[in-house]
Amino acid sequence: MLVNLTGSDRLLSITYFGHTSFALESKGTVVLLNPGIWENKPVVPDDFSARIVIATNRKDDAIGNSAAISVNSKAWFLGNKETVEKATEQGVKPWLLHVLENEVPYEVPDVRITPYNLSRIDEEKDGRIDNLGLLIEIGGMRIGYLGDTTIRGPFELLEMDILITPIGGGATFPVKDAVSLCIDAKPRIGIPMRWTSEEQPMKFSKYLEQFGQGTEAVVMQPSQKLSVQWAAGNEFRYELN
Amino acid sequence: MSENEKKNVIIDLEESERVQLGGRSELESIDTSGVMSVVNVSDRSRIWNVKVHLGDSRGSTDISKESLAAGEVDIGSKWESRYKVSVDAPIVKLSEIFDTCGDIDTEDPHWAYVSGKDNPVKITLSIKNETDGEIDNIILNKTVPPELSDIQILSTKSGHAEYDEGTKQIVWKDFLIYPHEETAIVIGATGVIDDTEPRSAGEIVLTYRGEGQQRSVLDPDLTALTEFLMGIETAETEPNQWECTLECSNESDLIVRLDKAEVFVTPEGGGEKRKMIDASPSIEMTPNQQWKASFTVASKETPKCTQDLLYTPVRVVTKRVLGTIEKAPQIIPVAKIDYIKTFDPPSVNSFDKTPVEVTIEVKNTGTAKLNEITIIDNLPGDVMPPTSEHVTVWIKGKEFSGPFEFIIDPEDQEPEKHHKVTFTVKDLKDSVGEIEPGESVKINYAVMAWRNRPEKEYPSPIACSANTHPAGIEAEMSSPQDGHKLGVIYKKRAISTKKAINKGANAGEYVVVLVVSNNGEVTAENIKMTDWIPAAFEYVSTDPEDDHPTITKVDDGTNMVWNWTRMNPGDQKKMKVTVQGEGEYERREPEVTSI
Repeated sequence: MLVNLTGSDRLLSITYFGHTSFALESKGTVVLLNPGIWENKPVVPDDFSARIVIATNRKDDAIGNSAAISVNSKAWFLGNKETVEKATEQGVKPWLLHVLENEVPYEVPDVRITPYNLSRIDEEKDGRIDNLGLLIEIGGMRIGYLGDTTIRGPFELLEMDILITPIGGGATFPVKDAVSLCIDAKPRIGIPMRWTSEEQPMKFSKYLEQFGQGTEAVVMQPSQKLSVQWAAGNEFRYELN
Repeated sequence: MSENEKKNVIIDLEESERVQLGGRSELESIDTSGVMSVVNVSDRSRIWNVKVHLGDSRGSTDISKESLAAGEVDIGSKWESRYKVSVDAPIVKLSEIFDTCGDIDTEDPHWAYVSGKDNPVKITLSIKNETDGEIDNIILNKTVPPELSDIQILSTKSGHAEYDEGTKQIVWKDFLIYPHEETAIVIGATGVIDDTEPRSAGEIVLTYRGEGQQRSVLDPDLTALTEFLMGIETAETEPNQWECTLECSNESDLIVRLDKAEVFVTPEGGGEKRKMIDASPSIEMTPNQQWKASFTVASKETPKCTQDLLYTPVRVVTKRVLGTIEKAPQIIPVAKIDYIKTFDPPSVNSFDKTPVEVTIEVKNTGTAKLNEITIIDNLPGDVMPPTSEHVTVWIKGKEFSGPFEFIIDPEDQEPEKHHKVTFTVKDLKDSVGEIEPGESVKINYAVMAWRNRPEKEYPSPIACSANTHPAGIEAEMSSPQDGHKLGVIYKKRAISTKKAINKGANAGEYVVVLVVSNNGEVTAENIKMTDWIPAAFEYVSTDPEDDHPTITKVDDGTNMVWNWTRMNPGDQKKMKVTVQGEGEYERREPEVTSI
């Protein structure tokens, strides 16, 4: 559904930087997710201004240059214990750090973040490492963000308006698991991330169109911005620039 | 001499047309030539100084001279001259309709066999007389190809037809065709071909005669000399009065026509000759018949008379056209298809939901061009079917955006049901062109494998068919009913429970720690864990609170029941249940079930 948006307090802007990096912005509050380093380059510039920076795991493609962004913009850095430890090593000041505990919400005005323990495959050591899935309530929306997950955890049971899910396989969900979760969780829109071939988002979109039972796929390209709102209080609308 | 015994010199025009037709009865070439003969039918008289006069009638021939000198033609002999004639079409039109599916009436005949099937062949041979005269001496030979059996002459409008099994020939003869009439024969047969090599439909040779007809417009006439006696008798009737009689007699056994008789007298004193007889009798003189003409003249001496006679044997013109039409065999291609069906991935994990790409490619493996393709795919249960707008079609390797049908029956997406998916594309000749041998139609769509169970089988049989234009018997290819099974990879389920009973902070308080883990390879669903609290204890609380159980009183205590809809591999739930009571806390192991 592509419509012209009108002003509303319940308005959310989602910017995609590539890989698993997104910025959620509502009423001036910016939450930056996984500003990782991908193909040896940071996908988000060091001088990006955010209020909260979250890395869902300690791998470089998730934590990336979070420390620099957090320090430069004096943003809170959130992550699980081992990720926070790594951020500390990278120079984030202690007063900016906050360790997220499983299912313990973290709240600042206009934002509520509930973490859930998930895991990603460690492709180097052939094991698993902790990865957080996040339910972020911002701008009147409930956004599920799975980071680099390979399991779905409780997300199929959570009520979400938007689900941001990896689809690239390898360390994370392949397309089929992302689609399967969307079918079960029934968010209003599903946004893929972390694809490794152009075919993957096309398939994600195609499968959701067919089997999503109401969930629409929105494939964002790096630098694209998605505006989402509850128009007239209860009508869900979105527009991709 | 009776009329029948009259002997006339014959000018005979025998013209032959040799026609080649192509496989579709189209005219490929026509070669027409003629033999003009002068036949001396006499038993005892030569003819000589024979000249054939053609005048302006040579138009369509290669004869350059108006008159042809035939010289002397002896008794019973003949003189011949050959010539070529230019024509556009034969006097007889032969056409063959070789319909490979005679059971289905269509405007145009079917032109291809279907491999591996009984093809109900119907052959219709038509001959039309295009002239104003009769055509006779007709003999048609049709070679029957070896792949045809059950040969039957279904009908003949005229004549008699027989099939000779030994020579594999149908011979149709003993009839004539009246001017501008048409006749036909219909032959039935069954064609069975097991490979795809194009077949010959069998050649046809037709011979015929058109008596009294000609292809040229030659209108020949003849002049000649033969044995013909002539003289002038001079008899004095009175002194110096003479009666002169021109006498001539046909000494041959041919009919001779006397065209001109002139007698001249030379005056006694000299001077210019005087014509005394100037006759054009145009009389046809039978053998030995005489003709006389007299005049009187005064002369002291016997008059000097000279004569000039013009005669010629009478000729008749006979003519006919002899024709041969050779029709090349129509080449009959063979329709055949094959298909490839693939699942991607070929197998899905049990109890999971997995999108599966179904690709079906129907290839023209025959030698006939195909105009329509139908694919029927039967989806098993536990598979969510595609939606009709999500099929992609490639024809000849290019994505196809033209019209096609994609029907899902029943028209829903309920994975519990079996669904039949029917794809049909028709009239390709009007869109991207017919499917040539070696080309293909490929379709792709996605289905969603829906929590498939490892102990079940999921066959997805397929039936493909194709047809030419016009449509006749379909070329078909299908799988066995249990073919194309979607594989289900059995993933081991392993739900484990651990329990610890620890003393609580207060007297009579215990903290029961319960850990349930999915240690299997597959997501577990509808997990139900039950633990028991002895009768002397009461349930107090659960940490975390969200995981509080359903409490049910039973005879010997209290049952706590937890239900989770799903646990992924590696997922773990840990609860601390606080109970309060008196006495020893008896341990029973928790029970867990799932699918």
